[in-house]
Amino acid sequence: MTETHPDRFDEVEWSEISRSRWFEPSVNTLGLVGTLLPLVVLAGYDRAVLPARTPTLAVFGLGYDLTAVDYLFVVTLVLFAWYLVVPLAQHPRMTRRYWREFRRNRPAVVGLGWLGVVFVGGLFGPLVVSAPEQSVLIGHQPPAFLSVDAANVATCVGELHDGRCHGTLTHPLGTTNGGKDVFAGIVYGMQISVKIAFITTTIVAAIGVSVGTVSAYAGGWVDEILMRFVDVVLSFPTLLMFLLILYIYGAGLGMFILVFSLFAWGGTARYVRSKSLSVAEEPFVDASRMSGATTAQVVRRHVVPNTASSIITQLTLLVPGFLLAEAQLAFLGLGDSAIPSWGQLIAAGRSDLSFAPWIVLAPGLVLFATILSFNFLGDALLDALNPETEAESQ
Amino acid sequence: MGLGRYVAARLVWAAVVSLVIVTITFVLLAAAPNPDVQRAATQAALEGGDPTAAAERARELRGLDQPLSVRYLDYLRGVYTLEWGWADSRSQPVTVALAEGLYYTAQYSIPWTVLTVLLGPLVGVYSAANKYSWKDHLATGVAFFGYAIPNFFFGIILLLVFGVWFEVIPITYDTTVPVFSVANAVQLSIPVFVLVTGSIGAVMRVSRNESAEFQEAAFMKTARAKGVSPLRAYAYHVMRPTLVPLSTTLVGQLLALFLGSSLLVEVVFSIPGLGRVTYNALIAQDTNLVLGSTLAFTFVAVVGNLLEDLVFTVLDPRISYDDR
Repeated sequence: MTETHPDRFDEVEWSEISRSRWFEPSVNTLGLVGTLLPLVVLAGYDRAVLPARTPTLAVFGLGYDLTAVDYLFVVTLVLFAWYLVVPLAQHPRMTRRYWREFRRNRPAVVGLGWLGVVFVGGLFGPLVVSAPEQSVLIGHQPPAFLSVDAANVATCVGELHDGRCHGTLTHPLGTTNGGKDVFAGIVYGMQISVKIAFITTTIVAAIGVSVGTVSAYAGGWVDEILMRFVDVVLSFPTLLMFLLILYIYGAGLGMFILVFSLFAWGGTARYVRSKSLSVAEEPFVDASRMSGATTAQVVRRHVVPNTASSIITQLTLLVPGFLLAEAQLAFLGLGDSAIPSWGQLIAAGRSDLSFAPWIVLAPGLVLFATILSFNFLGDALLDALNPETEAESQ
Repeated sequence: MGLGRYVAARLVWAAVVSLVIVTITFVLLAAAPNPDVQRAATQAALEGGDPTAAAERARELRGLDQPLSVRYLDYLRGVYTLEWGWADSRSQPVTVALAEGLYYTAQYSIPWTVLTVLLGPLVGVYSAANKYSWKDHLATGVAFFGYAIPNFFFGIILLLVFGVWFEVIPITYDTTVPVFSVANAVQLSIPVFVLVTGSIGAVMRVSRNESAEFQEAAFMKTARAKGVSPLRAYAYHVMRPTLVPLSTTLVGQLLALFLGSSLLVEVVFSIPGLGRVTYNALIAQDTNLVLGSTLAFTFVAVVGNLLEDLVFTVLDPRISYDDR
């Protein structure tokens, strides 16, 4: 791409700006492939060379075995970095505009801040905070600066006076019945939530955008069949089907993510389809067709990017549903008991609610704050990304 | 296409959807080893018998040795003729177990649905009429709060506050009180409150945003100019058009909540309804009952979506049937 900008519109050398060949990867695509390659190599090494139960990064002394969900998570992180963060940095003017719009919605800014905390906490927290460990003797420790009747605590870690056990900063949010640190539990739960949020969003977006654009562009009976299929997906009782699958086969976090994201893209596909149909009518699509763009190029460069703004909002509002579903299942004791999610923590504290409410309250409020933040964020993104609604919101 | 043909087409479509879902459940069940057969084999092995022979016998008993197509047709016939089998864990037919559950589920679902459908649009339109006043902000706050707080968590907290600390409501649901009694109303008040706060938020937001559009419409100006009282103007000219877009989202959202929350709320408040029947069946490994309750919820969802579409066409005469 040349950096000389002609003064007039009709002097623009179109062949230099629009890519002539069908597949000429952008910087982002190259970066993506470049980042994914080592990961694929690592996964192959993990599968083919390492014995089944050896931690993947044992060479570096890390005792953590990467699972399929972890790999998927890293892939989605890389995708988000190259197709969301990097483009924002590449277009500083638009980024500033979005931010100006976004900033006006103060709850959303606070929500974004909280989601940032959850993201960073989920990503790096487990490296800093040690995993919550079972230790029955120090069960039911109260949170820091609070106290509880000493009769409810086996051994008080903090000070003990007037028959009341006081909390310590060793366990800032207290401990559970089994002596697991609630704060550590919340940090590890953040990781689960971040994983669920990223992986489901990516799967839903990928399927939704593909089905939506194909449906809009193919038309005819393909459109009809795909949209009828979307109807089925939309009226599918996902939670119940998941319960059935769980009952028959048993299911972990990976299965949860798979089932829930495979039945959540219906709305996205409908959205993308209607948006694609309206974008296809726009004059700029005609213009690019007249300058020789193929259908594939139009879809790739104009249709899909233009649907992105509306589906980002929709995806933001989908994520809390997944987090809630996971917490609900964990609470029922039907979730993946191997993972320390917030729902597991809430379930663990339920029987001790009357004298140790912090076990339920802390993760519950964190879950509440996260879901609320996503809703605020979705609301603000709707206004920020869609200039047409601006007039309405005023 | 006339109304009759549209309704007929929609009915056929609902049947197709239910068939697809029933088929999926069959595939899921057929592809997995049957827990009953495994149990029989384990039993035989423990008693010193031949586990293979016992498994074979169990398979024969349940007709699992027949070809897949025969089993599928059998399954379909069973599902659609409501022969859902015997619930071992409860020693009664599955349909009876589900009907018993439904009896309790209905007791809180009906007030919950009625309250949401009545209050949601009312508060939403009121909120839109007083936009950006403190009342509007309060309503918006309540909407977001209810939408974001996990129902089961909110239920636990309220149970702690009102059940344990203030002792206003019983901690476990008492099935012995009559349906229409003060005691029953008291013990169901908190579950209904939790569910209403959970579902009303979305309804309020949609009706607020939709009705904002109609307030400035020309027909409202005409109505005001003619001296129509504000109450009547809002009831006739704002509420009615608002209900149309609302009805498209309302049923879907209520159903989603019903499927998810009834399970959680019933477990939290120990109400022996449909959700708890499902949950107990899962725990007790009662295949017939698990399947039966899944199908029951599925049919509720399919019928709900069907009703939603039909009501939508009746409510809004402006839309031609060809559009959909």
